Amino acid sequence: MMDGIVETSSMDTVQDANQKVEGEEKQKVTQTAEKATPPAPKAPASADKPKAAAKAAVGSSAGAKGKTVESTPPDPVNKMRRTIIWTAVGGFLATCFMMFLRFFLPRTIFEPSTIFRVGYASDFGFGVDTKFQQQYRIWVVRNAERLFVIYARCTHLGCTPDWKPGENKFKCPCHGSGYTNEGINFEGPAPRPMDRAHIELDPTGQIVVNTAKLYEWPKGDKGHFDEPGAFISV
Amino acid sequence: MDWAQLWTIVSAPDNVPIVAMLFLVPFFMWMGLRQARANDRLAEQLEGDPTLAKTHHRKTWPWKPHWSRELHVWPYLLRIEFLAVLIVTVILFVWSITLNAPLEEPANPNLTMNPSKAPWYFLGLQEMLVYFDPWIAGVVMPSLMLVGLMAFPYVDSNPLGVGYYTWKQRKVAIGAFLWGFIMWIALIFIGTFIRGPGWVWFWPGQTWDHNVQLYEINRDLPDIFGITSQPWKGIFGLLVVGAFYLIAGLAIHIVVTWSKFEKKIFERTTLLQYSVFQFFAITVLVSMPVKLLIRQLFRIKYVMVTPWFNI
Amino acid sequence: MEPEKPDKPEVRTGAGVTVAEEAAPSVKENIKAELDLLKKKAAKESVLQEIEELKDPTKSQIYKSMFRVKHEPTPRSRSLGVLTNVFLHLHPAKINRDAVRFSYTWGMGGITFYLFIVLTFTGILLMFYYHPSKGQAFQDIIYLENDVPFGKLLRNMHRWGAHLMVITTWLHMLRVVLTGSYKTPREFNWSVGVVLLVLTLLLSFTGYLLPDDQLGFWAVTVGTNMARATPGLGAEGPFGPQMGMSLYNDVRFALLGGSIVDANALLRSYIWHCIAIPTIVSVLLAVHFWRVRKDGGISGPAPIQLESEMRAPGARAVKKQVG
Repeated sequence: MMDGIVETSSMDTVQDANQKVEGEEKQKVTQTAEKATPPAPKAPASADKPKAAAKAAVGSSAGAKGKTVESTPPDPVNKMRRTIIWTAVGGFLATCFMMFLRFFLPRTIFEPSTIFRVGYASDFGFGVDTKFQQQYRIWVVRNAERLFVIYARCTHLGCTPDWKPGENKFKCPCHGSGYTNEGINFEGPAPRPMDRAHIELDPTGQIVVNTAKLYEWPKGDKGHFDEPGAFISV
Repeated sequence: MDWAQLWTIVSAPDNVPIVAMLFLVPFFMWMGLRQARANDRLAEQLEGDPTLAKTHHRKTWPWKPHWSRELHVWPYLLRIEFLAVLIVTVILFVWSITLNAPLEEPANPNLTMNPSKAPWYFLGLQEMLVYFDPWIAGVVMPSLMLVGLMAFPYVDSNPLGVGYYTWKQRKVAIGAFLWGFIMWIALIFIGTFIRGPGWVWFWPGQTWDHNVQLYEINRDLPDIFGITSQPWKGIFGLLVVGAFYLIAGLAIHIVVTWSKFEKKIFERTTLLQYSVFQFFAITVLVSMPVKLLIRQLFRIKYVMVTPWFNI
Repeated sequence: MEPEKPDKPEVRTGAGVTVAEEAAPSVKENIKAELDLLKKKAAKESVLQEIEELKDPTKSQIYKSMFRVKHEPTPRSRSLGVLTNVFLHLHPAKINRDAVRFSYTWGMGGITFYLFIVLTFTGILLMFYYHPSKGQAFQDIIYLENDVPFGKLLRNMHRWGAHLMVITTWLHMLRVVLTGSYKTPREFNWSVGVVLLVLTLLLSFTGYLLPDDQLGFWAVTVGTNMARATPGLGAEGPFGPQMGMSLYNDVRFALLGGSIVDANALLRSYIWHCIAIPTIVSVLLAVHFWRVRKDGGISGPAPIQLESEMRAPGARAVKKQVG
């Protein structure tokens, strides 16, 4: 029946709790429950403090201090069990946290391709060509020796500069950075020239641009504009 | 006996909750009723022994006078709550790792699946649609069920049984609630396991045949009695519904005042409480199974036919 | 740290103000004084003392600023640990010794609340990869299951957690009925609970549509068609047309944001599911928990009452709760 279901563990641990109550200060916690019709516990066996009787009336465990429960000795705290449990819980939560972090980095993304064709070298005259600025964010620049592609991103904070043919320069509207007609910075806060995109010819002779591969000229460096993929000789 | 068909239905991931409920509800009811039996036995013991009744602590668990009546929440309650959290988390993780949430084809307004079923907790409503028109099955009945549930504490005039399990002391309340609860689960069970393509009735083990031919014709009660014109149909229907309420009300009255104790409780019940209780009991608890039975056994669709609505 | 007594009768220059009682101290002497102080600190004893203090982290200022109650097995500590903790003060300091038993409460209320928290957390994570627009929504679910690390697990947890929460809500309701815990003074809290049950079902229902697959689409179609049958307010319910209801202004239209289950319905479902209903549920949960405490805590297990002790009607019909 129900009697067999007594939870000895709760009894034991109430014991060791109450054992520690011995001699402790009285708690001033208010009780939410009231007493029922069953009789009050007999006056505490060890009524060492006179105040105890008054406080005991509301059925507090401190009122049944001293010999509060069965007189079997309390179980010592099982340190190994505690360690195992906390390690398991901690490990689980740490794993969850790492899963949480990884969750924010999807394995695939859907963004437009960065590789495209812009026609033949013979399509472009000398100077700056803005034909593909809207579509691909690039300018095609041709001079006597080379053809290269500037990626239209200001090296200051990433705005798209404007090509000013009348002034023969690129001018960024955001903070006034100015670049020569080959994209070399000369005024304003831009720290370095505009990057150039990878460019090569495909078997049919068309120019293939890849804006995911950019060539930079960092300040103080000799730069990468002369590397093979940064231009086409014409 | 098509075991494969049965297994397909039972193991469908979305049906797993209702299968789980079929085990969980009886288990917890058993756990509750076990304590109810113990408490009832104790009550009997104490009723027979007034001196013991004065000194007993009135619970079936042991308690000695020098035991404290209360335990600190920290650690005793918190640790069992922590354990519950751990167990629920483990169950949820295991369930999520082993079973995948369903995903059908993209929504296509021009193609309905067959059978097209609501999620399991609404299958009860969907099954009711067989027996009642949409406005009743979908709006009126659910509203009445909810209002009835909310009214439950207020019409329960029995002062005993607060805070402990019992059966003997609260037969009417517990009986009424369990009746409704079990009926709700039965409707969900029917909707999940019995209703197949075309919402046709298939017994468990029958193969779900998409091309089964049905020759049932449903008829209306007034037509059975030869009443074919309005307003006589409406009046007949009204009379039938009225008679139903009377007979059902009487039957309920006999049941809830069966024992001497129940008669005592009845005396403390106000007229308002009692009429509200009767209304919900008849309209929700009795009309549903009755409608189900007259439909399944006698193929009767409507008992009341009017130009504006049908019941 | 105590203020140092000055070697000379002069005011310390901490505030940058010097009041000269004798000749103003030279800069060199000030520096010397500070160096002496540092040397004292560097003296072995003082450093060792600080290391000793650090060995017990619970005595450090950082710890004490965060945890204002000592973690001791004393009644005072245990009570304060619960009462002064924002997360735990839902509980009283002490409860009925038999109420910790699983067999009495089944823990279903607490488990339901825990599942609500889990669902909120997993739901928020799912929102990072979901666009509530037709066509995109379905693709997002596929993307989530295949290309997002742990996306499949998360979606499954959310779905099954939702079903589990519906089950635990009903089991909680069953337990409350079996233990008579809806009776005075808890009737109102029971009604709040019924509303919470309905909101739980509605949360499930609105979430069902979000993958925009056949399952969700037709569930919502059937559900809102039932709304169309509402008496008076629905275009096809009794007395609906008489009230001027049509497909374009009835309650179903209001629910869907249109006459068909389309992009508007999806967006509305999303808002109901993620913002509106969880907000209402949170508010009602606060009321529900508040009422549990105010009505006297967990109702039992209470001492049984006997028929022979039943008081006459009109008198206080219910005995007060006991510990």
